Amino acid sequence: MNNIAVTEAPAGIAELDDRALVVACLAGDHFAWEALISRYQRLIYSIPIKARLSQDDAADIFQAVCLKLYEKLPTIRDSERISSWLITTTSRECWRLSARNRKESSPSVDEDQGGFLREIPANGPLADEQREILEKQHQVRQAVQSLPERCRELISMLFYQKDELSYVDIAGRMKMPVPSVGPTRARCLEKLRKLLEGRI
Amino acid sequence: MKCPSFEKLVDFLDERLDQAETSAVATHLATDCAVCTKTTGWYERVRLVATSDDSVAPASWVFKRAVRIFDTQRHRPGLTERMGQAIASLVFDSFARPALVGIRSTETANRQLLYRVGDFSVDLQIAPIEQARADLRGQVLKEGEASFDAVSGLKLELARGGKIVLSAVTDDIGEFSLRGIEQGVYDLRVQLPDGSITVPDMPISES
Repeated sequence: MNNIAVTEAPAGIAELDDRALVVACLAGDHFAWEALISRYQRLIYSIPIKARLSQDDAADIFQAVCLKLYEKLPTIRDSERISSWLITTTSRECWRLSARNRKESSPSVDEDQGGFLREIPANGPLADEQREILEKQHQVRQAVQSLPERCRELISMLFYQKDELSYVDIAGRMKMPVPSVGPTRARCLEKLRKLLEGRI
Repeated sequence: MKCPSFEKLVDFLDERLDQAETSAVATHLATDCAVCTKTTGWYERVRLVATSDDSVAPASWVFKRAVRIFDTQRHRPGLTERMGQAIASLVFDSFARPALVGIRSTETANRQLLYRVGDFSVDLQIAPIEQARADLRGQVLKEGEASFDAVSGLKLELARGGKIVLSAVTDDIGEFSLRGIEQGVYDLRVQLPDGSITVPDMPISES
């Protein structure tokens, strides 16, 4: 029998929890690593962007943090805390890079650095309040991602669209009768509530 | 009064009810119904968290580069310390980054390289100068150390074909410079108290 190269992620891998993904990574599963990075990409990348570093700097920080995450995999004891570790590590990388940029007088860093970075003590963690906001945003987004496809689409429209959509707009986009939007939204929110139980 | 449905409570909070329904729900909530207060509190928190989420995803090339870490690191035997010598791996090369639209080339730019091994990173900048030579400036850093104790006063040796051609010592913050290096491929060795870090196959080019 010929060997067939697997080029697509196995179904369901994105639904595995962090602990299962870490175990799979340590067993050599490339797709588990991809799923892990995908899960945390917004959390990591947004920290340097919020700190008003350039996109190039944010890209470098993203790579450096992912490399550190890879190196840390064998010693991750509490997979539930990956997000917390990533926030700390990324904020430290931001400080390190912005300090270097200031030293080199790079134009990529404003003299009046963003308020977000000001809240990061030098070489230290983010303020508790800022950290909590980031973690909760990550939790809610991940919970929305875990919803069934139609619910994910509907809740994303309600929560993550910049422009507020009417039920008529939503019904049009989802190809459903307008009167069904409200009850469907309620059912989807109930599912989201169960997923977030005890966390939000 | 019977508790409004979950759907009605959410519609109330999103101001999607007509005046009569809004009034009825408001009247009920004014009774401090514990169940409805808990429900509305949850929805308001989640809505606030979600709508304030302005996170952004990285560009696809940034994501793909990070995904490749898994394969490049996993298939690199002997990366970690071996007989006191650690080989640093390249994690960033400014010349490997795609050029921006409208920019034909980055040939005239200084080249930045970042190598990492264990807790140490070696940040390098290669600045071309005249006559097929370049200056090399860099900094050795150790993760989690704010005092620079572990990276100051380290001896560095630049070798080509196994022969040491230049040497330097890191300053108080781990920085160093090596000037007027001829074009070629070099190994940079950083001597640590308990071993050494080698940056292998470092390209020094004119441009």
